Amino acid sequence: MYVSVNVPGFIKKIVQRILSTWNGVQSFYFYVVSIIKSFKSIRYLRFRSLYSIVVNQTRFTGIDALPLLMIIALMLGGTVIIQAHTNFPKFGIESFIGNLLVIIIARELGPLATAMIVVSRSGSAIAAEIATQTQNREILSLELMGIDTKLYIILPRIIASIIAIFSLIIIFDIVAFFGGYLLSISTVYIPIGVFIQTLLDAFSFNDLFLTILKSLIYGILIPLIACYYGLKPRSNFEIPIYVSQAVVRTLLVIFVINAFISALFYF
Amino acid sequence: MDTACTPRGEIVTLENVSYSYEGNRLINDISISICLGEDIVFFGAENSGIDFICQLIVNAAGEFEGDVFFDGRPIKDFDEIEVHNFRKGFGYLQRNFGLINNMDVFENIALPLRYHSRLTSREVDERVESMVEYLKLEHCARRRPVHLSSSELLRTSYGRSIALDPDLLLIEHPLEEQCLLNVQVFMSALQNRAFAPHKSVIIITYRPELYTEISERFVMLHEGRIVFDGSTDEFARAENPYVKQFLQASIDGPMQML
Repeated sequence: MYVSVNVPGFIKKIVQRILSTWNGVQSFYFYVVSIIKSFKSIRYLRFRSLYSIVVNQTRFTGIDALPLLMIIALMLGGTVIIQAHTNFPKFGIESFIGNLLVIIIARELGPLATAMIVVSRSGSAIAAEIATQTQNREILSLELMGIDTKLYIILPRIIASIIAIFSLIIIFDIVAFFGGYLLSISTVYIPIGVFIQTLLDAFSFNDLFLTILKSLIYGILIPLIACYYGLKPRSNFEIPIYVSQAVVRTLLVIFVINAFISALFYF
Repeated sequence: MDTACTPRGEIVTLENVSYSYEGNRLINDISISICLGEDIVFFGAENSGIDFICQLIVNAAGEFEGDVFFDGRPIKDFDEIEVHNFRKGFGYLQRNFGLINNMDVFENIALPLRYHSRLTSREVDERVESMVEYLKLEHCARRRPVHLSSSELLRTSYGRSIALDPDLLLIEHPLEEQCLLNVQVFMSALQNRAFAPHKSVIIITYRPELYTEISERFVMLHEGRIVFDGSTDEFARAENPYVKQFLQASIDGPMQML
């Protein structure tokens, strides 16, 4: 059997891919640096002009996402609790159910599922909104008014995302624990007092700290990456391409960072 | 034309400015001064270079040769913060209006005031309300741009561009896509602005004849160069072959039209 492998071409493609990725990282780095530099003009900023953007973005990212988030939290919480209660006794480790819930839901699933919901709803919406505004020359119009678009567009969305994500993670955890408990009592019975005590025993200050840390990191990264890709399109037909890239790349970054934080604090 | 300025001096000066984009020479060694209080109309055919005049003045065109001075200071020397601050000093009515689509008429006009001014929120609201009334926009003050007619878009954009009461107002092609019956409020407001002392208006247009009541100076560009710079009377007489050809929309003359 004859196999043709064009080694130089193959290597060339890999090199091109690496260079393209490197250029992307560099471009994102310069974008972040330009935002940091624009903070010099924050003293000229009247925060009242950001107020409505923060309120609208918090409502869209936080309140409007609640029904979807609560359903997902309920289902995930119920699944984890049912699996734990039906399988742990087989191994004689039913006393660790609380620890497992805290580990799985509060430390990992809560922040991760919340981030995924926010990326798919708000990340895509932010990227599409900014891209459309860029194409409609609204961003140019803001710049011509002497408005620092980096602060005016990105800063309020970061503030809103941090507030919304932190609140959503807390709500996700509560719904997953207690909703899951209510769902699970149809199959296994656990006294509510025992359930709560198990959870409280398993919780530590570290878990709360990490929830805040993850809210901060995701709250900054999701709008930052969404705006980065939102500002990229040079024509209308590029908008869906960059919106899709914004969602995929943000999800990738979120998973990598989540794994990194877990390794850093729990390994 | 005698362009000696009043003691308040020149608000904008272009000195040997040339500008190219993707290898095409769009502005070719232009030098012109605009005095504070002077109203000026730039006109010319498509690709004559008039569409880059405002962009050069506001430092939005990118790199160019020569110098542009605003209030005596070269804009090339401005850093990013200075650019934002200097842009507060003028109003800019873009050709496509540049309104923010997720804001209604009221909020669009209020935007520069909320961002830049030291007025309280109540004072901003009061000022915008009076602007809305002045421009006869009360009936659509809570509508978003997608629900506005062309003349309402024009008036909203005009209201926003003069919200900070700038010394210099730049207007690009305001009447090109308008029904002239619907723009009387705008024309009247523009006339008031142009007649106000120490307020300058620069209008970019393909229809200079509509501004003879407003402007005292007309400048024509062709292939990036100034081919006419004269008073309203000189413009109306149309003795310059370029102006004559332009006003008569003739194919015969010094300009080769496609």
